[in-house]
Amino acid sequence: MIIGAAVCPHPPVLLRELAGQHDTAAPLRRACTSALTALLKLRPEVIVVVGGAATSGVHHGGRIPVREFGGAQPDRLGEPALPLSLGVGRRLLDETGAAPAVELIAVEWEAASAQIERLAQQLAARPERIGLLVMGDGSARRGSRAPGYVDERAIELDKRIGAALATGDAAFLSRVEPHLATELLVAGRAAFAVLGSAVTASGASVHAETHYADDPLGVMYFVVVWVCAFS
Amino acid sequence: MLTLRGRRFDAEATLIMAIVNRTPDSFYDKGATWDDQPAFDRVRRVVAEGADIVDIGGIKAAPGEEVDAAEEIRRVVAFVAAVRAEFPDLIISVDTWRAEVAREVCRAGADLLNDAWGGYDPGLAEVAAEYGAALVCTHVGGVAPRTRPHRVGYDDVVREAIDATVALAERAVLVGVDPHSVLIDPAHDFGKNTWHSLELTRRLDEMTATTWPVLVSLSNKDFVGETLDLSVGERLTGTLAATAICAWHGAQVYRVHEVAQTRQVLDMVASIRGVRSPARTVRGLG
Repeated sequence: MIIGAAVCPHPPVLLRELAGQHDTAAPLRRACTSALTALLKLRPEVIVVVGGAATSGVHHGGRIPVREFGGAQPDRLGEPALPLSLGVGRRLLDETGAAPAVELIAVEWEAASAQIERLAQQLAARPERIGLLVMGDGSARRGSRAPGYVDERAIELDKRIGAALATGDAAFLSRVEPHLATELLVAGRAAFAVLGSAVTASGASVHAETHYADDPLGVMYFVVVWVCAFS
Repeated sequence: MLTLRGRRFDAEATLIMAIVNRTPDSFYDKGATWDDQPAFDRVRRVVAEGADIVDIGGIKAAPGEEVDAAEEIRRVVAFVAAVRAEFPDLIISVDTWRAEVAREVCRAGADLLNDAWGGYDPGLAEVAAEYGAALVCTHVGGVAPRTRPHRVGYDDVVREAIDATVALAERAVLVGVDPHSVLIDPAHDFGKNTWHSLELTRRLDEMTATTWPVLVSLSNKDFVGETLDLSVGERLTGTLAATAICAWHGAQVYRVHEVAQTRQVLDMVASIRGVRSPARTVRGLG
């Protein structure tokens, strides 16, 4: 049973070691923490972290990928790193201090709907109280200073994704076209689609609350909580 | 040993490559040398200040208005020919990733092709070979020209920069570029965040240990700006600090906006390293 979900972005700068002295990402990190706290209040038995990655698969542990993006760390690499999305999710959970069971699932960036649907059905059919931590961002092509420069379609797509997240429109999230998302550097498409499809499959109604929606670094970040209700 | 325009430089020689932008929109000078006259004035000034090389570029590195090959040729080729005519001995470099532009500038008298986007057009090395030009091989992490880094991660950025640039250098030699006329450049900030650029600076000795001559392009870049939280016009001191570290590690060519200040830093570091005699030593020696 999916009892709720928290949606958080996964820029490397959310990892405190990478954010420098000024910690520009502090407000975003606080919003993520508040969303996770709201999710944990629903008393999930397990948190399933879902995030986009180069390849699909379940991760059993793994290092937070700080070293890959910099930071003043020693030169030893140690154990393999999690994909960025799952690593940031894992870190955000660790920072809450709560210790529910955690599962980490990577979904290929351009995963087709059949694969998304399969995973969503599996999640929806499980008997435990599942809280989803859905790691994903909007477009990185929102303006001339954005990492991916300008694509005029970006603002509109972000608007629609943001509206779907803010209103609990699960169906829309399942429908975002993978290639368009890739072109617009939307790193949340696959994870959002899992959320949409899983909630649709569960038959729940959704109460949604947006904690953050802004693009301070040229990338659209959404922090949203969904609370699921079953009639 | 480095050979440029037929001149040989030993491993301890440091050379300054002065940036001359033929662009209306580059980040530092914002079009100051877009017109011919100011561009010529800039060349004359940097030569007077001791620049060994001028690096002429027709397209800014950041994303922006599309500049096709024809427009790039229009911006740089005639200028290269004019600089060649006025300064017969000056080493002229052109910053381009396009083989078709490279061909035209070599015909106009360029000596060095600064392939700042990491071998994006493999034909560039062949053009260098055909015209006996030198070549700079850079590491950009596989990104397309004029793209910003976005969540680029490396297991070991220094190792990857060395592997990529050495592979490009070896390929260049294989297609006929003079092995003494190939340089490698880790390309600070290209396909890299500030942490990566700082680490490349800290560990540049690993790159110079390859024995390929190393070029560094540090001047007023964002990694300096982010490190010190300073805007573009306030980064000279930070640039010179990074320059000193690269000089200590043995970099040979420095692509810069400010020539005179860079020369002082390079001479000072060379004397500290013990490879350059001080200019005047009488104190306590009289």
